[in-house]
Amino acid sequence: MRRFAATMLGTILTVTACVTTSAPLEVPALPPIDDAALSSLLESGDPIVLNVWASWCIPCRSEAPLLSAAYEAFGDRVSFIGVDIEDTQEDARQFISEHGLEFDNYFDRAGTVRANLGGVGVPITYFFAPGGELVYRHNGVIDERTLSLQIDEILNR
Amino acid sequence: MEFTLLWAALLAVGALWMMLRLERRLGLLPDDRSDWFDTLLGAAVSGLVAGRIAAMLLTGTNPLTHPADIILIRGGVDTGFASIGALVFLVWATRRSLPAALDLVSPAVLAGLAGWHGGCVFRGTCLGTRSEFPWAFAEPGSALTRHPTEIYSAFLFVAAAFGALFLLRRITRPGVVAAGALATAGTIRLVTEPIRPSLGSGPIWWYTTGILAGIVLTAAAFLRQTPNRRPET
Repeated sequence: MRRFAATMLGTILTVTACVTTSAPLEVPALPPIDDAALSSLLESGDPIVLNVWASWCIPCRSEAPLLSAAYEAFGDRVSFIGVDIEDTQEDARQFISEHGLEFDNYFDRAGTVRANLGGVGVPITYFFAPGGELVYRHNGVIDERTLSLQIDEILNR
Repeated sequence: MEFTLLWAALLAVGALWMMLRLERRLGLLPDDRSDWFDTLLGAAVSGLVAGRIAAMLLTGTNPLTHPADIILIRGGVDTGFASIGALVFLVWATRRSLPAALDLVSPAVLAGLAGWHGGCVFRGTCLGTRSEFPWAFAEPGSALTRHPTEIYSAFLFVAAAFGALFLLRRITRPGVVAAGALATAGTIRLVTEPIRPSLGSGPIWWYTTGILAGIVLTAAAFLRQTPNRRPET
C-alpha cells in the first residue's frame, strides 16, 4: 500500500509541476452594484445567470472554470453576471485574473444582492428568465448537469 | 451544507455491496478473499482522486497550490482519468490474477454505477434534454418536459449488472466478462450522452475508447490460450 501511495504521489507531483498557467487578465476595478442597478440588469430582457462569489471562498474557485466554460458556450444567448461579496477589490480582481472570468463582475462589499435575492453562504447561482423571473436558485458549488439544465430552462421560458 | 452527492455515493456503495453479497451467495466469489468490498471502495476513491486532480489540471487549477480544492468533487471529475485511476488501483490490488479478479467484480461495479446514476433523485439531476414522450418529466414550476436520462442509465446498468452475473456463471475464460462489462458501460454512457445536459458534447472519446478496448479485450480473452477461471462444473 505504501509503495502504491508513493508511486501515485510521485506521479501527481510530476504532472502538477508541469502545469502552466495562462497570462493574467488586466482587470479594472469592479463597479459597485445596488438595488437599482440589479433591478435594471434583471429587467434587461435577457435570460440571466447570476453567480455570487468571493475570492476567499474555496468552493467558488472550484466552480469558476465551469462558469467560464458556460460563458464560452452560452454567452451569446445568456447574460452572465458575477457579484463579488464581502471581499476587497484587490483580491476580487486577482481572482478574476487568475480564472480568466470574462463576463461582467460587480462588487458588493455588504452582500446586499444576496440579502435581497435570498440564500445563505457562497457560492450561490441564480437563474432568471427573460423579464427577471427567478427560475432557480442553487446554493453551493454547481455542477455541469445542473448548470446546463437550468440554462436550457431559462432559454426556453 | 449540501449532502446530496453523499447520498448518491451511498446508494452506489450500497448497490455494489448488495451485488457482491449476491455473488457470494451464488458461490461466484472465492472464500479465500474476504476483502472484495474494501478493494472496490479503494478503487472508487483512487478513481475519484485521479479524476478530480485531472479535472483541476485540465481547467488550469494547480492541485499543489490549491490542495483543498481536491475534495470538492462537485467541482468536476474527469471520467476517463477516474476510470484509469480505479483500474490502476485494481491492478495493484489484485496483481497476479487481474483478468479473473476483474471478472468477479464486474457485476458489482456495474451495479454500483447503476446506484450512482439512480442517486440523481437525491441530487435533483435526473432530467436531460427536452422530450415529448409520455413518461417525460418537468422541473418543478416548468412546463418543459424532459427525458429522465439518469433513470434510463440506472436501469441499463442494472440490466448490465445482471447480464454480467449471468455470463460470470457460464463463461469461465478469464477476462471475457470484465471486457464485455467495459464495452457495455461505455455503450450505455455513449447512447445516453446525447440526451444528457452538458456544456459540450461530453467525454464521448473516452466512451468510444472504452467500447473499442472492451471489444478488443473480449476477443483477446477468447483467443488466448489460458486456463479457465475455475474448473467447469
